[in-house]
Amino acid sequence: MFEKVLIANRGEIALRVNRACKEMGIATVAIHSTADADSMHVRLADESVCVGPPPASQSYLNIPAIISACEITGADAIHPGYGFLSENAHFADIVKAHGITFIGPEADHIRLMGDKIAAKRAVKSLGIPTVPGSDGAIGSESEAADLAKEMGYPVLIKASAGGGGRGMKVARSPSELSLAFSTARAEAKAAFGDDSVYMEKYLEKPRHIEIQVIADSHGKVLHLGERDCSLQRRHQKVWEEAPSPALNVEARNQIGKVVTQALTTLGYLGVGTVEFLYENGQFFFIEMNTRLQVEHPVTELVTGLDLVREQIRIADGSHLELEQSDVVIAGHAIECRINAENAFTFHPSPGKITDFHAPGGLGVRMDSAVYAGYRIPPYYDSLVGKLIVHGRSRNECLMRLRRALDELVIGGIETTIPLFQELIKQPDILDGEYNIHWLEHYLARRSPGAAT
Amino acid sequence: MSENKSKPLRDRIAKAIKGESTPGVDPEIVRELAKLLEETGLSEIEIERGGVRVRVARGTAAPAAASQTPSPAAQQPQPSQTEPEVVRRQGTVVTSPMVGTVYLSPEPGAAPFVKVGDSVTDGTLCIIEAMKTMNPVPSTVAGRIAEIYVHDSQPVEFGEPLMLIE
Repeated sequence: MFEKVLIANRGEIALRVNRACKEMGIATVAIHSTADADSMHVRLADESVCVGPPPASQSYLNIPAIISACEITGADAIHPGYGFLSENAHFADIVKAHGITFIGPEADHIRLMGDKIAAKRAVKSLGIPTVPGSDGAIGSESEAADLAKEMGYPVLIKASAGGGGRGMKVARSPSELSLAFSTARAEAKAAFGDDSVYMEKYLEKPRHIEIQVIADSHGKVLHLGERDCSLQRRHQKVWEEAPSPALNVEARNQIGKVVTQALTTLGYLGVGTVEFLYENGQFFFIEMNTRLQVEHPVTELVTGLDLVREQIRIADGSHLELEQSDVVIAGHAIECRINAENAFTFHPSPGKITDFHAPGGLGVRMDSAVYAGYRIPPYYDSLVGKLIVHGRSRNECLMRLRRALDELVIGGIETTIPLFQELIKQPDILDGEYNIHWLEHYLARRSPGAAT
Repeated sequence: MSENKSKPLRDRIAKAIKGESTPGVDPEIVRELAKLLEETGLSEIEIERGGVRVRVARGTAAPAAASQTPSPAAQQPQPSQTEPEVVRRQGTVVTSPMVGTVYLSPEPGAAPFVKVGDSVTDGTLCIIEAMKTMNPVPSTVAGRIAEIYVHDSQPVEFGEPLMLIE
């Protein structure tokens, strides 16, 4: 087993990885920018190395500094967390070239799934259902117009190098296509350095349902059920739950089987999430994330598994000790992402947290690296913490979430707690009747004219 | 420590801890040094980091003063009196621009690039090895090497104080 793991990340996920390592008796190295010298995981890790000034490009994305930090501390493995370098195949290659274990998938699979056109083609050939669309990149506007006419409007133009909801433009009619196509290309070039775009049918009211997978280095691939992440604002997930209110056991087993077979054929390693849009009983692949996800705790709470611990064990060559029949989805879990923003205008609210009190009690988990007196740096994302609750049923879970939100105190800054306190009173949320547009429609109705 | 002697001592340390008599000093350092002094029975402990030196000694009569040059206070054997003395040095602290291992000589066994007391302008002070490449660290100011904070082959992080140039 690894002697020492370097955590190449910050904030709550760095703390999460530190916790798993500590429980396994593995020494930890925290890397940090100068702005994060006082953060929780830096204090709790066995060693820390300052890798640069605040900007991420000079610190958390600074590959030479991170490799150097491994060299001087003697770390034998790196956990990349989520975001930052976690899906950077080049980084995975470099780590491996230095004789350090990258706790994650093979670089080639990271590369494959990072190219959205190639990913779609690959999973399609492996039997995973995909959204109807162009077969590969679209070369010209006339090609786009022809294809859209054939598929039927509305259509979505997507950047091949995009992902995570970025670089997408809708065209509802032929008159909108020209602008959508040219804008999508220009934005893709500017944001990702690659202007290749592809087209898909635009689904009107889908849910976002993703399947968690886990694979060891001995060919065993399991699925750990789904998460419903339909409640999003500007393509950012806000509330996630497991299991999905829309799926029954049969649907879960069916899609789970398709996904595990595909990834077994691919020879995938580590954890990953296959994301789908789900409409009218059908699944449509959108992308695969080759890393641990922000919302992994909801899966942990319904399955009882420690996903970070499993990542580390798998990276060390251990066998997954479960069979698919051992994976039981018990009860229900909901996660709320708490951001340092005004709950309804979403204006960022950086600053000092004067009071912090996490809720407790049965079935309540708070994954957060903040503390009273902590100053939120303005250089990184605004996630303050994740409140995750578990109950034996969805109703019990909702009651517990309401109670926990009322106990949670984060003073000194504005947070999105009030948004969640409102959401848990909405009939649609209580019934589990929502899709990926629900939240934005709700926010628009609530404050017409405000930016949603 | 008897009751009536500990009160003034506690007040002086509290003042130091709050930073009122010695602004800019991390109160934790003072607290820790005072504790160490009591526990070990040593007469004096001094640390220096990044151009700020903190010295806690038994028996110094005068209250702590921030001064330009270090002035060792007279020491009398009064076991229950400890005074924090803080000295902030003038000059520029050269910090490490990267993560790596610092070497003070161009090669093992060779003479070091600089020694304490040397005058420098913009020449190489030391080299930092990172990922098998050697990176010279030039002096950012002209002056005299007052302190070298690192030893040869020491791992350093970004921003770590390397030397003080006065």
